[in-house]
Amino acid sequence: MTRSLNLNDIQGNVLRAYGRYSFPFARYFFLNIAKPHQGRAFVDAVRQKVTTSARWPEQAEKPDCTVNIGFSFQGMLKLEIRQRTLQTMPLEFVEGMKNRAFILGDRDNTKIEEEAEGWDAHWDPLWRRNRRGDGNDSNNVHMWISLNAQLKQPGGDQPVDALEEKTAWLRDLCAKSDDGVRILPGIGRDTPDLDYLQASAVFDDVGGVKVPTPKEHFGFADGIGDPVFEGQYPADVEKTAVIGRGKRMDGKWEPIATGEFILGHPDESQELPPAAVPPEFSNNGTFMAFRKLHENVQTFDEVLTEEAENYAKINDIPLIEARETLRAKMCGRWVDGVPLAVVPTYDEWLAFRTRKGMDDPDPFKAAKAQYDYLKSPEASDFRYADDMACVKCPGGSHLRRVNTRDYLDPLNAFGTDPKTGKPHSNPKATSALNKRRRVLRRGLPYGASDPKNNTDKTQQGVAMMLMGSSLFRQFEFVQQQWIEYDLDFHQGNNTCPLLGNHDHHKRHTIASDPASVRQPYVMSKLKTFVECRGGEYFFIPSMTALRMMAMGIVDPT
Amino acid sequence: MPDFDSGHIFLTTMAPIKGPSGNNTHTSFEQKVRMALVKLPTALQSPATKGIGLNSPFSRNTRTHLARMFVLNDAVYNGRVGSNPLLNMGENLTQLQHVDQLNCSYLVFCADIDAVTDDGAPLPKVMSAAKQKEVRANYARKLWDTMELELQDIYSNCVGFEDVDTADEFAAYLEKCHVQTTMPFHDYYLDLPKFNDLPVKLLVGAVLVPAVVALLALLLRILGYLDMPWLGWSSLWTFIGAAIVTALALGWAIWYANQNGEKPLPPAKYDDLPSVLKALYMQQNFANFAIEQQGATAEDLHASFGAFLDRHKPSDKTGPTQTPGVISSAAMAQSD
Repeated sequence: MTRSLNLNDIQGNVLRAYGRYSFPFARYFFLNIAKPHQGRAFVDAVRQKVTTSARWPEQAEKPDCTVNIGFSFQGMLKLEIRQRTLQTMPLEFVEGMKNRAFILGDRDNTKIEEEAEGWDAHWDPLWRRNRRGDGNDSNNVHMWISLNAQLKQPGGDQPVDALEEKTAWLRDLCAKSDDGVRILPGIGRDTPDLDYLQASAVFDDVGGVKVPTPKEHFGFADGIGDPVFEGQYPADVEKTAVIGRGKRMDGKWEPIATGEFILGHPDESQELPPAAVPPEFSNNGTFMAFRKLHENVQTFDEVLTEEAENYAKINDIPLIEARETLRAKMCGRWVDGVPLAVVPTYDEWLAFRTRKGMDDPDPFKAAKAQYDYLKSPEASDFRYADDMACVKCPGGSHLRRVNTRDYLDPLNAFGTDPKTGKPHSNPKATSALNKRRRVLRRGLPYGASDPKNNTDKTQQGVAMMLMGSSLFRQFEFVQQQWIEYDLDFHQGNNTCPLLGNHDHHKRHTIASDPASVRQPYVMSKLKTFVECRGGEYFFIPSMTALRMMAMGIVDPT
Repeated sequence: MPDFDSGHIFLTTMAPIKGPSGNNTHTSFEQKVRMALVKLPTALQSPATKGIGLNSPFSRNTRTHLARMFVLNDAVYNGRVGSNPLLNMGENLTQLQHVDQLNCSYLVFCADIDAVTDDGAPLPKVMSAAKQKEVRANYARKLWDTMELELQDIYSNCVGFEDVDTADEFAAYLEKCHVQTTMPFHDYYLDLPKFNDLPVKLLVGAVLVPAVVALLALLLRILGYLDMPWLGWSSLWTFIGAAIVTALALGWAIWYANQNGEKPLPPAKYDDLPSVLKALYMQQNFANFAIEQQGATAEDLHASFGAFLDRHKPSDKTGPTQTPGVISSAAMAQSD
């Protein structure tokens, strides 16, 4: 691609995972529009503060606090976007996440609709009241607004004041809207009045100094291998960023086509992704699934401990080794983010950590070493086609499900290469059957990080945002076929050991290298560790479309 | 077909819109052009636009029949170029094809204008390239004189517009953006003109006659006749000579057809904008007059018609007449 993207037209959260650009705090607001006219005025006011993808600092100043906005289908209907545009919106977006619960595995899909009545009882009140289908629109979620804030001071764990100022600004806009727009309360089960989801990176306390970490509440380093697409980075950055994060073609890593993530650009099948008309409305926009994913940290710890004791006994290894190994085999990375595909065994991992300086006695140096490693292409530069037997990284592990890399290339050979006596390395494997299933992951953990006191009942998890030009083809497919099902990985009905629902399927198979003395192991007591507490599908319009929505005119200029 | 036809210039210009660099406002120049365009009033042609009361700035001259400005973001991508799967079995379908793109977004400005340098002047039948250029420049200056602020608002987001401060500079700028097109949009002839019909029989004959001779000579040669019967010439040389004449005649026929196609059609009668406006004005007023005079005596009708002619001056297209950019003279009266 020779022509650069119009970054000023694309919202900033599409190109950037803010958490990785020194914005460790976020607030997510969900709003209802009661009056279309006031709704448009509100959108017009917010539009002028929206953070775009323009590069910092050469194209735009880096803000202390970013602003981004998205709309549910119901919100677009309420804003009186013309019918011709609305009726060309994708079906899954029109239906909304709640109505897709069966597909997504958010509701028990062994139950028929009558039996599943009340399946969303564990959702936040905000999301339970959304899309009831009773004709009452006053509690429906129409808009999503996110504020992402920088750190006030290095070493602290407080956001810049701009976060509170922008919050006050939003409240003020609502107050001035003559009851036309309101922020919806009901975030969290026990906090009926809470009207925003506060998210923040998990901070480590190092001798009183607070250090933001890439961890989520189970302790895994998260958000490492986000896809890289054409036009996302300047050419010099792209060269390294693309390694392990683009698509693999002819033994090389290349950026994924822009149209997989941004509407109006050619995608991997060399088509324009289907989008609502007119093109000026859809171009440079995208779709986003917002999911509040609660983490049952207590259950996770209990199950892990029980399985680890068993695993340690069978293999006659120390409990700590069993624990760390099982964690890694569930995720696909060791807790610090080092991929199993590169460093498959516990001993190698310990040696690797030492070599990289991650065990430095100075905790700051250690944290810096880990940070540098995760930012480097090395953390993403690996493949699965050379491990078709899954002895390094289990076939059902979280990582192999959400990004299958070159594993699904239909030409990959299984078994042992008679020439070398080793497994086939399939050097020419491509990202076929994977490159059209990628999603941009955005978001941050929410809830207090207090491993000693956190239980299943305390509020903690990840505010997850998944973006792509087709929710159906990308997010929903990955969720349904790869997270909640396992046929593509030859593991039957097993679900993702971390994200999957384990009401019915509780197993995770860990293969073992036949050359090693280690036994294969099947975890069999998995419980549901991550459960969705609500969410919705949003359209993330371009700046052009936002202006059209604010003006109430979808015009062809 | 060039821009000039039927006494009009079908103007097409494309001004490149600035790219992202050096714009520290979070708003792209493309977006700014769109915003300037969306604020531009359209002609008063519908109840909604009539209500606004602001007429299109293009109505400030009496040369513009139609004008359109829009942002051309990029070439429309229509997917992979298909091929016959049997003939191209070796094609690597996993290899992405090159995607054509414009090097930047463009502001497209199209207009259908009278090809004159004085409003209301008779429309010319033919026009040299130099004269066409002069007409375009004159129109650009006219626009600058009547809608400078609007043009600055729109074009200030385009590449190379920084140095444009005068009507002449705008004319030079627009000339740089000029693209020759073959897509006229036009109104109708009252009486059909003499079209530039192609002399098809002559052209076909000029090619076919030597071709038949060549074929005949070739056939004779193949059958063993070294000389042409009766004529006695070498059949080979006859074939070669006739083949050369055929090729020349074919080239000439193609050249002639192209030349003929490029000849502009003459303008229609009353096809300049002031005449069109006057005609619309007369049509409406005459219809009203006819209704008012139903049942009138011959004397009264005669007197009234005299007054009608005095008042509306049918032969004077400078006035009274309909303002440009309104749907009817009545609408004009309302908005006054």
